[in-house]
Amino acid sequence: MNSVNRRVFLQSLAAAGSASILTVPAARAASTAKARVVVVGGGFGGAAAAKYIKLMDPAIDVTLVEPNATYTACPLSNEVISGHRTLESLQTRYGGLTARGINIVQRWVTAVDPVKKVVTLTGGATLSYDALIMAPGVDFTWGAVEGYTSEVSAEIPHAYKAGPQTLLLKQQVEAMKDGEVCIIAPPPKPFRCPPGPYERAAQIAHYLKHHGKGKSKILILDPNDSFSKQGLFTQAWKALYPGMIEWVPGKDDGKVVKIDPKTRTCYTTFGEHKGTVVNIIPAHKAGKIARDAGLANAQGWCEVQPMTMESTVHKDIYPVGDCCIAGELPVYDMPKSAHMAVTQAKVAAGAIIAKLHGLPNPEPFYVNTCYSLAAPDYGFSVVHVYKVEDNKFIYVKTAGGISPIQAAPITRKLESEYANGWFNNIMADAFV
Amino acid sequence: MKKAIGRASALMLCLMAGAMVAPALAADSIVALANTCNNCHGLKGVSVGASMPSIGGQSESYLRTVMLEWKNGTRYSATMGRLLKGYSDEQIVALAKYFAAQPWVPAEQRAPDQVVFNGRLVSDRCTTCHGERGGRPSDDQTPRLNGQWALYLEMEMNKYRDEEVKLPHRKMRKNAQKLEPAEVYEVSNFMAVQKGQ
Repeated sequence: MNSVNRRVFLQSLAAAGSASILTVPAARAASTAKARVVVVGGGFGGAAAAKYIKLMDPAIDVTLVEPNATYTACPLSNEVISGHRTLESLQTRYGGLTARGINIVQRWVTAVDPVKKVVTLTGGATLSYDALIMAPGVDFTWGAVEGYTSEVSAEIPHAYKAGPQTLLLKQQVEAMKDGEVCIIAPPPKPFRCPPGPYERAAQIAHYLKHHGKGKSKILILDPNDSFSKQGLFTQAWKALYPGMIEWVPGKDDGKVVKIDPKTRTCYTTFGEHKGTVVNIIPAHKAGKIARDAGLANAQGWCEVQPMTMESTVHKDIYPVGDCCIAGELPVYDMPKSAHMAVTQAKVAAGAIIAKLHGLPNPEPFYVNTCYSLAAPDYGFSVVHVYKVEDNKFIYVKTAGGISPIQAAPITRKLESEYANGWFNNIMADAFV
Repeated sequence: MKKAIGRASALMLCLMAGAMVAPALAADSIVALANTCNNCHGLKGVSVGASMPSIGGQSESYLRTVMLEWKNGTRYSATMGRLLKGYSDEQIVALAKYFAAQPWVPAEQRAPDQVVFNGRLVSDRCTTCHGERGGRPSDDQTPRLNGQWALYLEMEMNKYRDEEVKLPHRKMRKNAQKLEPAEVYEVSNFMAVQKGQ
């Protein structure tokens, strides 16, 4: 192809683009002026879905149901514990979405009728929908660790939903004396933010090391036998906090089965460990409203169709974000991350617009980038790329993966900066 | 000479890629594909994070070349190479086209007058190729710098200054290495605050 032909070809590509479903012509948009989309939950997935639906077709009536006026993001919240970030730096309100013409209803959904396509709100009001985005995030399974209840979490934090729990853990870590022990008990897979507990260990170690408490220890009692970015974390722990972090896998009796909150003692099957600070992160499952709506499988997660993110259970309901499960467990499932949630939301948004307009579904494309900070200037990442083949989520093994273990030293510094830049952009991409 | 070969091979790749675009790569899917970049680079490629470059309105040829080089491993990257290995050459060609067609929006940022002044004094190392204020590159393989994020520009120059990092552009490395660390910071800020060309 000579350069003139190439230019013509690319122009035709661009011309086709202008008539795409993602920029719906006014006449077509008007035909669905009454189309209604309800979004349940204003986290990354829900907010991004609402925004992109409105962006692609402003004529659609989009309502986001979210009980809180302020959202506190979880990514980088471990930096609050070490004192390198404020909780406020993780917070946003919903004014950006309001400005786009999205209705924000500050309530919660008590029931979903997938046949009549109606949701009931707290107080009894109802909303009809043509398509529903289900993005309630996760709930914890209280009692999975015997003795660990919602009430106990007021003393022994999980700190796995950013907010007051994060600050509680921070205060407790700050009160530690040199030589004392902090126990972190991660949940069994799958859980949101797979590298979260291990990044947390590094951030707590960073605080302790730089506050004259370098003889202290962080003991990770893990029900799992491997974890996200394991080689990178192990390398970083050794380089930055030698001797401070110990990880006990499930196969070596790492699984905490019971806790005595009074003595802060964690019991494993054969042993017991006492911590000055104990951080129990309970097992996860899809948020209650998703389970109540019948969307969850026996393990408590919402399964979805790869081409559209539509539920495999109910038509016109699209679970996105941490509540859904997609891809092959235990290694190649889609991680429960903000990035993944926003990507899924965009696929769902495209599918909903296509369906409402009777147009072909756009080819879905799923990517994830997840940065972890072992210190303020020491970051690394994992990348996932998924394609859909034969109506299955396929993890593209020739792409993605973790940052190289052997890398030019500048790499860790660069990725620590990328983590911060990523955060600003993902917040804007979902909420502004 | 080396540069000329590099350009020729990039052009070859591009032509081959153009010829191979499958009908399955529908135009609407290109916007959907581009939306996956927004997570880090912002809507229409306008970044709001200082370490992440804005890519909307950047030179198409430059965008295509760096993406293909990251994908085939001839250009160092901390993160992008792993992502782009999951994209076909056709998709990369289409993404470069899409983002180049978006308006260039200078990032909202400020720098102390003295820093900008000092930066201008050493900017002659940059302006021959990137234009007097970074906005008029001498050829389409050279990125614009005006209104790009200062932190990103500084990080990029530090890559070129680092001998352990594999980057294809010798002229850029030579010039970046002749600057003092303070000058890297200053000239990055000088370019970053330029709103015009």
